[in-house]
Amino acid sequence: MGRFMLKRLWHGLIVILGVTVIVFVVTRMVGDPVRVMLPLEATAEQRVAFEKRLGFDRSIPVQFAAYVGDLVRLDFGDSLWQRRPAMEIVFERLPLTLQLTAAGIILAIVLAIPLGIVAALRPGGLADRLTVTVSLLGLSVPQFWLGLLLIVVFAVQFRVLPTSGAASAKHIILPAVTLALPALARLVMLVRSSMIDELNQQYVKTASAKGMPFIRVVGMHALRNAAVPVVTLAGWELIRALAGYTVVVETVFAWPGLGLTAIQAIERQDLILLQAIVFTVAIMVVFINIAMDISYKMIDPRIRLA
Amino acid sequence: MRIQGTKKTLAAGALAAMLAVAPAYGQEITIAIGSEPTTLDPQVRDDGGERAVNDNIYETLMARTANGELVPSLAEGPPTQVGGTTWEFKLRDGVKFHNGESFNADAVVFSVERIINPEFNSEQGSFFSTITGAAKVDDLTVRIETDGPDPILPTRMYWMKMVPPGQAADPGFADAPVGTGPYKFAGWNRGNDIVLEVNEGYWGDAPQVQKVTYRFIEESGTRLAGLLAGELDVITNLLPEFVGQVPQSANISGLELPIVILSSLGGSTADVRVRQALNYAVDKDALAESLFEGFAEVAEGQLLAPSFFGFNSDVQAYPYDPDKARALLDEAGAAGTEVELVGTSGRWLKDRELVEAVGAFWSDIGLNVNVRIFEFDEYLNRLFDRDTRADAIFVVSSNELLDADRPFSAYYHKGGIGASNEDDALAGLIDQARSETDVAKRSALYQQAVQIAYDQAYFLWLLNIEDIYGMSERMAWQPRVDAKLLVKEMRVDG
Amino acid sequence: MVDAPSDHSVASPDDIGGRPHELFSAARGLGKELWQDKPGFIGLLLLVALVLVAIFAPLIAPHDPAAQSLRERLLPPAWVLDGSWVHPLGTDNLGRDVLSRIMFGARVSLLVGTGVVVVAGGFGVFMGLLAGYFGGRTDSFIMRWVDTQVAFPGLLLALIILAVVGPSMTTVIVVLALNGWMVYARITRGVVLSVREEPYVEAAELVGCKPARVLYRHVLPNLTSPLLTLAILEFARIILAEAALSFLGLGVQPPATSWGLDVATGKEYMFRAWWLVTFPGLAIGIVVLAINLLASWARVTSDPQEREKRFARFMARRQAGAGTREAIAK
Repeated sequence: MGRFMLKRLWHGLIVILGVTVIVFVVTRMVGDPVRVMLPLEATAEQRVAFEKRLGFDRSIPVQFAAYVGDLVRLDFGDSLWQRRPAMEIVFERLPLTLQLTAAGIILAIVLAIPLGIVAALRPGGLADRLTVTVSLLGLSVPQFWLGLLLIVVFAVQFRVLPTSGAASAKHIILPAVTLALPALARLVMLVRSSMIDELNQQYVKTASAKGMPFIRVVGMHALRNAAVPVVTLAGWELIRALAGYTVVVETVFAWPGLGLTAIQAIERQDLILLQAIVFTVAIMVVFINIAMDISYKMIDPRIRLA
Repeated sequence: MRIQGTKKTLAAGALAAMLAVAPAYGQEITIAIGSEPTTLDPQVRDDGGERAVNDNIYETLMARTANGELVPSLAEGPPTQVGGTTWEFKLRDGVKFHNGESFNADAVVFSVERIINPEFNSEQGSFFSTITGAAKVDDLTVRIETDGPDPILPTRMYWMKMVPPGQAADPGFADAPVGTGPYKFAGWNRGNDIVLEVNEGYWGDAPQVQKVTYRFIEESGTRLAGLLAGELDVITNLLPEFVGQVPQSANISGLELPIVILSSLGGSTADVRVRQALNYAVDKDALAESLFEGFAEVAEGQLLAPSFFGFNSDVQAYPYDPDKARALLDEAGAAGTEVELVGTSGRWLKDRELVEAVGAFWSDIGLNVNVRIFEFDEYLNRLFDRDTRADAIFVVSSNELLDADRPFSAYYHKGGIGASNEDDALAGLIDQARSETDVAKRSALYQQAVQIAYDQAYFLWLLNIEDIYGMSERMAWQPRVDAKLLVKEMRVDG
Repeated sequence: MVDAPSDHSVASPDDIGGRPHELFSAARGLGKELWQDKPGFIGLLLLVALVLVAIFAPLIAPHDPAAQSLRERLLPPAWVLDGSWVHPLGTDNLGRDVLSRIMFGARVSLLVGTGVVVVAGGFGVFMGLLAGYFGGRTDSFIMRWVDTQVAFPGLLLALIILAVVGPSMTTVIVVLALNGWMVYARITRGVVLSVREEPYVEAAELVGCKPARVLYRHVLPNLTSPLLTLAILEFARIILAEAALSFLGLGVQPPATSWGLDVATGKEYMFRAWWLVTFPGLAIGIVVLAINLLASWARVTSDPQEREKRFARFMARRQAGAGTREAIAK
């Protein structure tokens, strides 16, 4: 177990290193943040001074060394847009993104398992067909479009939920539902097919024949065996949501998390803040990956952690 | 046991607790602004979100009436000129900052020196570039020095917010502002909202609105949804299309003037006849009536609105005359030549639509128009490129000081950042006007400059866009020429 | 049967003549099967229609998608009051025809989808073949690379690249392909590893076939069906991703058009002109749905176990149906 963990951490380190290099190359050698950050009427001298202040006038190797040093200390410098430490902004917004992601993924899992099981109990039955159809629709609707639709219906027409922002618990409902939908659709399909396979296994028939209550057969045996692929997919959905979907959903609902902040940073060409966000998310993704690997072992002892 | 009863709590966390004990009387409103302030220090950034909030917390020596007339605010009366480079201000007596500090000559000297200090590196520096220092005469008299005669110093002081010397050095000052204004800071829940409460000890008339919450919503569609859903009371930058749909709207001639800079330096537009043709080709009335649904006026052939200083009422917009435009093109032998039109998207109200519409009008008179919409970064590259000027660059000029100086220096003056001409006469007039302290002479100089630029058609002047605000049913408010959202002027019914 | 390797380095006429014929009959078989699966068939029909619309957009679109008419802006669809059949789905904020824009937008979606599938698929399959066939160090290097890149926060990195390089259709294709090739490599490698052990591959190697030939003739055919399913699914994902990027303003740039971009523009006018977000949004949804229907059919078809189950169900239904018909006849 110890060796396994070390190996996983080492791998995670490589990922972070890769992100580091790519981000550096893209931001320092391709773009020119100086020009964009200053107001339209700024003079040439102001531009030079600004460049100097950010250290963009140094040679590329020197910049890279300074850059890696900054990363190790988790100090990305001051956001160009907000003029305060970029990590301060990240830590301020991160909890909101985590809340939204957690709400969305938990919603997806909690709904997917019963729906998937009900569909699997009678493949081809009405419940099954309905589940499959709705899942396919859920997979096909663009998320940003669904979000707009929910705003029009629930916030503007019926006024039961707020349109945007994150001021209270009520505010999380619409964005969480929007975030959950595609994940829910994929999870339902997976739970359903895994359960169909498991329910056809000999042991289920044996257990039923021996008089074990059906609920227990499903709950204790089939579900446990179906859990491995479901956990894998749920982990993937978590990563996908965290490192991607939240950007879209937060933009639609003006949910002030990391995703919206990333888009705002792009609009303002604040590459320093954008870097801080990407690194934070990269590190979280690495840890989620490790956590997933460990959870396989706990669910299914047959998997050797080597 | 339920103590809180039916009171609706609007904000989370600590704020909710505060609300629970606050008295239930008084009017509370919610205003949506386009971007969250990056700081609440009023002297650091040039930031619309910060301004919208701080305009209610801080005050300046000079202010403007809703119609744009310059009037004293923290100054007791209009300033007087003592010598060529010195202006003297008498201060209002008995004004206190929200923390109890007195507002006096020391505060003014401190505020001036703070913002012009190069170390402080204020983004508002260009508003105060002529100021060299300030000196206290007595407790309620201050003299401000400039590097040369500066006729618009009183106007500049309309932009400089007065900060308390005792508090401004505090590291938390940027997060907890302290001013002299009608509202005081109550809380900032980053990412969500800023709350202000009425300042009971305000020196002026007591405002009616007791509490104001600012929300930050970038997307205009989302702002509109919030207004329609009854969550917001005032939203800015309402699209003209929605005037009929919101409970209430109000509009006023704004500060923004979209223009197209035509290059006289090279390419097909080097010929003045071509530049004139480009002006005749565009149906500005159609743009105003259709694209802006009537919420814009045609710009009168100058980068100024009628209420701005330097406006020349003798100059009028080039009329829409495509035949004349074609004739001019033929005369110049430029029919069918290529014109590159550079613009950007999402930066200004309907910027892309305007550029695309102008491109279509130019195509109609037989030009080969190459419309190029760049992402803002790339767009700025083109705008700032001093060596190769694109034939035509779309830009929107925003005139906060309501004076010709800044926009003319940037776009009309041949040394300006966005100028595409090398007209010495024009540049000379602008330089002269900058240090002319006689109001009438200064105005005459700008009017001459307007005429030259008009005759030479250095620009395609498009519109003067109106600011439109959406409001909830219960609001009563008349927008201001300078686009400031002064809550003390707002009223709520019921 | 097996000739000297040198003879086979040039393709014989037999090769060329035999293949299309076999392919054709195989396709006919597949077509028949697809006909049995109604949702899959409908999905295919929709897709074919879309491809035709995209290809012939300049011929069938009622208007130039870029032609604006300020006096006719924000006209509603034909069946709504004030609408007219000149603009069947209404006009947008610049008076451009929504239907024509959707038709031309289809080109972007298909082009980006195809582009990414070809680039990512081509690169991924190539890397997977290398890894699976050569094994050892090549394998561990490539797979380590794949693992590393899979753990990247893909979309955020894409955002950085798009923000700095500047968005355009090419950038979108490159960025999405960069994020999408790993899954092809993994699947290819898996199949190659299992096929490698098959006797016929070993035999081919024994007689001295060059690796390229073994891969092409003996390994690649085994990959067709899993890769096809994967490519279809990826296609759907990419269409959604392109729409999302364009919606965020980081994809296709105006004056070019894309469904996602049209939704983003229409969003501003959502409460006055519902048709601006509704129709491009529906277009995306319908296309992705069609692809998903087709993919779920393809997945079942390419899985022998699933095929058996389906065949059994089909037979059962037919017998039941025959029984009913007999009963009615009596």
